[in-house]
Amino acid sequence: MKQPSLPLALFLVLAALCVAQEGVCDSPTRTLTLGAYTAPREAYGKAIIPAFQRYWKMKTGQEVRFQESYLGSGAQARAIAGGFEADVAALSLEADVDNIARAGLIRHDWRAGPTQGMVTRSVVVIAVRKGNPKGVRDWDDLRRKGLEVLTPNVRTSGGAKWNVCALYGAALRGGTGAAKGNAGAAEMLLRDVLRNVTVMDKGARESMINYERGVGDVAITYENEVLVGRKAGGTYEYVVPRATILIENPVAVVDKYADKHGNRDLAEAFVTFLAKREAQRAFAAYGLRPVDAGVAKEVAKQFPAVRDLFTIRDLGGWSQVDRGLFGASGAYERAMAAAR
Amino acid sequence: MSRVSSALNPERGGRMVRAAVLAYIGFLVLLPLAALVQQGLAGGMSALWQAISAPGARSALWLTLWSAAAMALINALMGTATAWALVRYRFPGRSFLSTLVDLPFAIPTLVTGVMLVILYGPHGLIGGWLNAADMKIAFAPPGILLALLFVTLPFVVRAAEPVLLEQDPAEEEAARTLGAGPFIIFLRVLLPPLVPAILSGTVRSFARALGEFGSIVVVSGNIPYKTLTTPIFIFGEIEAGSPQTAAAVSLVLLALAVVLTYAGRALEKWTGVRGV
Repeated sequence: MKQPSLPLALFLVLAALCVAQEGVCDSPTRTLTLGAYTAPREAYGKAIIPAFQRYWKMKTGQEVRFQESYLGSGAQARAIAGGFEADVAALSLEADVDNIARAGLIRHDWRAGPTQGMVTRSVVVIAVRKGNPKGVRDWDDLRRKGLEVLTPNVRTSGGAKWNVCALYGAALRGGTGAAKGNAGAAEMLLRDVLRNVTVMDKGARESMINYERGVGDVAITYENEVLVGRKAGGTYEYVVPRATILIENPVAVVDKYADKHGNRDLAEAFVTFLAKREAQRAFAAYGLRPVDAGVAKEVAKQFPAVRDLFTIRDLGGWSQVDRGLFGASGAYERAMAAAR
Repeated sequence: MSRVSSALNPERGGRMVRAAVLAYIGFLVLLPLAALVQQGLAGGMSALWQAISAPGARSALWLTLWSAAAMALINALMGTATAWALVRYRFPGRSFLSTLVDLPFAIPTLVTGVMLVILYGPHGLIGGWLNAADMKIAFAPPGILLALLFVTLPFVVRAAEPVLLEQDPAEEEAARTLGAGPFIIFLRVLLPPLVPAILSGTVRSFARALGEFGSIVVVSGNIPYKTLTTPIFIFGEIEAGSPQTAAAVSLVLLALAVVLTYAGRALEKWTGVRGV
């Protein structure tokens, strides 16, 4: 038998692939790749992505297929910077988005939007056992002798830095027993609490899994972790300290990859969609505080108010915190060494 | 098939196989190691020294070393005893025991860690009971030791087994006829040929334990200065954006592994014929 020519064979293979894929090759299906951190996984997978697919179909007639990847925020940022071609990055920390920008992949000012590039919020809280048997009310209670505290390792979990910032910042602001602005007293509180930490898990999720398993008396964690855990049947509760930090989670279009895939319009529409009411309500249903003021009012009952809510900017911003608090000779390292 | 092998010039065929294997191993092992060394030395020797002499790194290295050493010691004893039992005795459940010995290699180490926490955690089956007696296993050094023992179980057993199988019962009998007691027989007749195999198994298990990550990260608690082992310290440095520190500390583990491998070889030669 005469062999078919190479171009013909190639064509046949491609045609077969197209048919296997979609039925017809030029069907208006598009693929958007989302590189996200793990906490909003359910919100994206179960609510927001299907809603966006409907929205886009109505608007343009195109089907959108999603490729979703969920990793710890730092690891996801490194994956994208290292060549994982996500069109949209949804991360836990601004610094992680900045890392992708520094790799030259995000070229626009991603903080320029109406919500400064942020789509969700949360606060650092203290998870306690049902009925709060240890009577934990605020940060100062965590230094009590014999109390077992869980918080993830700040080196392996960028998000765990929020916990330390909340505790340390609350002390600095006079939100604990320490006098306002007394850095020494804040460091002592940090040391005492770190001394009570029995497990420093790899990440926030692992830490809560251990807590659910019965390890520890309290866990320092984010409000959304507790709310999602309770939704899944967890019986624990949480207390909101008098002073705590506001967590803000950014989303950005990864310019280089969105352009490469011809997905700019789609990626930008998705990011815009995340700040719209429908998506904001979905985030709220999964325990994340909305950035949209209107939706925030709707769900205000769901999220207790915080007496003294401060942000990372009140501590001088991440670059200042990374140096002064988490740097090699920063307050955290000193407190950790003193706690041994 | 047979036509091909006979047509091959054995001399040339041998050379080709050797070259192919060399290229394969070089690609698989040497290349990544070279990348690690390059990254580790990127900041110069003083940066390397600074990274590994920082108190956090030092305490992690120390914990890894002593826990691996304790594990190796227990492995040398219990592994030999297990091999002995498997070879010398016929008992019900023997083949089941043999299967159990190999099982740890097939279980993802992360799962090992989870199992240990379920069992020895403060509310675990055994852990709850021990906790009442104020003994901590999970989230404490004993948990690290248990995890290491689990993941390295087959090394000494499988190294000692073939040597035990080859031993000639006639030697033992001769010793007995000459009036030696069971202790002397073990020490003078049975043990010497086993030593190289035990050493080789022990050294391999030690080297394996230096790098263990999956089970430890779950079971140890990862508290700096207390229960944070070197591989998890290294992971933390990578996550925290200090790949150079990570590579520098990795180099220490790598150097240890290389030295150990050579030391193991030398010991094997020195103590007698190689087991395998």
